[in-house]
Amino acid sequence: MIDITVSERDRLQLPEALNRPAATEENAASPRRKTALAGKHVLLIALALISLFPVILIISTALKTEADVRVDPFSLFSSFSLENITTAWTEGHFGEYLGNSLLLTVPSTLLVVVLSTMAGYTFARLPFRGRSVAFYLVVLGLLVPFFTYMIPLYFQLRGLALLDTLAGAILILTSTGVSFGTFFMRAFFSDLPTELEQAARVDGCSEWQIFLKVMLPLVGSGASALGVFTFLQNWNNFLVPLLYLPGGEFRPLTTGLYQFTGGRSIDVGPLAAGTLITILPVIVLFLVMQRQVASGFISGAVKG
Amino acid sequence: MSSGISSTTPAVTRRAQTRLGIALITPLMILVAVFFVLPMCSAIYYSFVDFDGINPNPEFVGLDNYTRMFTDPEVWHALGNNAIWIVLGTAAPLAIGLVLALLLWNVKRGNMFYRLAFFLPYVLPGIAIGIVWGWIYDPVNGWLNKALQSFGLGHLATGWLGEPDSALYAVLATAIWASTGFILIIFLSALRNVDTEQIDASRLDGANAAQRLWHIILPQIMPVFLMVTTITLVGGFSVFDIIFIMTGGGPANATNVMGTYAYNSAFKVSDISYGTTLALLITALSVPCAVLLNRLQRRLSLQGTGA
Repeated sequence: MIDITVSERDRLQLPEALNRPAATEENAASPRRKTALAGKHVLLIALALISLFPVILIISTALKTEADVRVDPFSLFSSFSLENITTAWTEGHFGEYLGNSLLLTVPSTLLVVVLSTMAGYTFARLPFRGRSVAFYLVVLGLLVPFFTYMIPLYFQLRGLALLDTLAGAILILTSTGVSFGTFFMRAFFSDLPTELEQAARVDGCSEWQIFLKVMLPLVGSGASALGVFTFLQNWNNFLVPLLYLPGGEFRPLTTGLYQFTGGRSIDVGPLAAGTLITILPVIVLFLVMQRQVASGFISGAVKG
Repeated sequence: MSSGISSTTPAVTRRAQTRLGIALITPLMILVAVFFVLPMCSAIYYSFVDFDGINPNPEFVGLDNYTRMFTDPEVWHALGNNAIWIVLGTAAPLAIGLVLALLLWNVKRGNMFYRLAFFLPYVLPGIAIGIVWGWIYDPVNGWLNKALQSFGLGHLATGWLGEPDSALYAVLATAIWASTGFILIIFLSALRNVDTEQIDASRLDGANAAQRLWHIILPQIMPVFLMVTTITLVGGFSVFDIIFIMTGGGPANATNVMGTYAYNSAFKVSDISYGTTLALLITALSVPCAVLLNRLQRRLSLQGTGA
């Protein structure tokens, strides 16, 4: 498979570095090579700054004084103040929205990981009649755009008395994540050698014990990559709270920001601060877990 | 490979596996049934009745919603926008992602910084992306118009999201910015598996960079290339969030795609049935396309590996 784990990558890079010393920049000897390399870095840094510019713009606008925002809202780092942040946190209710985002994201992420792991194991290793029908039904959820069924889902949720409840939104967030999750975990379970379960069976393990004690511990890295990915997805989810939490009592950061943009006079300063509060956890999580995020994306996309 | 039902598996084991399997997927299947299958069935039902969201016993209208859909000029306009989105929204990130991946391929110093810088946009929430790009496109204070003016191109400055001519491309550019990092990371991992000895050999034989790319590198990453193409193409059919957030389908329907048109029909004018019928059309188009592309990709990637 094309999935690269950290250790595999190191193994792959080492011989390359040994075989081709001239190609690595540390050993680039000729001046022509050095100039070319420097040019490449200048180009890459320029492109990286373009890529990061919108994030820099959010941070800079959020951390300016209100007066300065009024004069020139988007000039970079012309003043420094935390007043936009405090305004957004208290008057803009972003502190509250942050709490709601956690209330929605944490349970739905845990549910996605647990349900996907259970189903992924079944679809990879427990053959029985009707299994492929069930699997195609789950995979269909990956192909059908959410907007196709979001409108009937609204009326259905109202009928179930789950509209505008945390439970309803959490269940929908979970159901939108399990298709990918099951697909993803199935790939991990499929890669484990068959000899493992045969040996366990000879040792007298029941099927339950094989799943819980032999197989489950071996997919920890996959499950945590799925967890990080799902957390980001659910944190960023916009439509589910917009449609199914219309009352505002459980409004998370994303729809909190949205209703902030709808007003007649848009306060750029607090809006920038609210945006910063929304993306800060994403950026921190991304920086801390970036290896897992990237490898999760790659294996999820490539293995399938 | 998964363990198939082999004749050597004892019946007792098979029964135990069936029991465990059913126990493990039951919660998932209930969730999928209630929150996916059931609303999909309602969607099909709504498309045959005249439902305004209030009347509990809507009137059966047969194929009226479908005939209306195929004679509605806005449907063709929205589908056209979907097509533009699919073509440009796939080609541009693939091309930019590949160029960036090739640039980054042998860079050791700062590699981690570059990867983070290019990948970060992909993990940001759509609403934050929409807000900040709204500032960049701002007709008065926005950076884009200011940059154009400072390069002496002030005559090109416009109200990017407010003008029907530019709005779709402005939103599309934002989406390309947000999705390229994902493609870059996948290409980088594919490039790591490329046989470097072949490249060195061809360099000695006098092959130039373009020849090496075309004859050696591209064939080796072809399966991954096709996989990314499939994902991005299919994503183009279901585009909704970013357009909904940035323009809502406006100005004057200029950025309408099937998703925003369906949403606006259902919720703005309370024509639930028509909105649902519109949404079903895009599913009817995208699901077969996804299956077809997946088949093609599998066949080609099997050829690519020589299997």
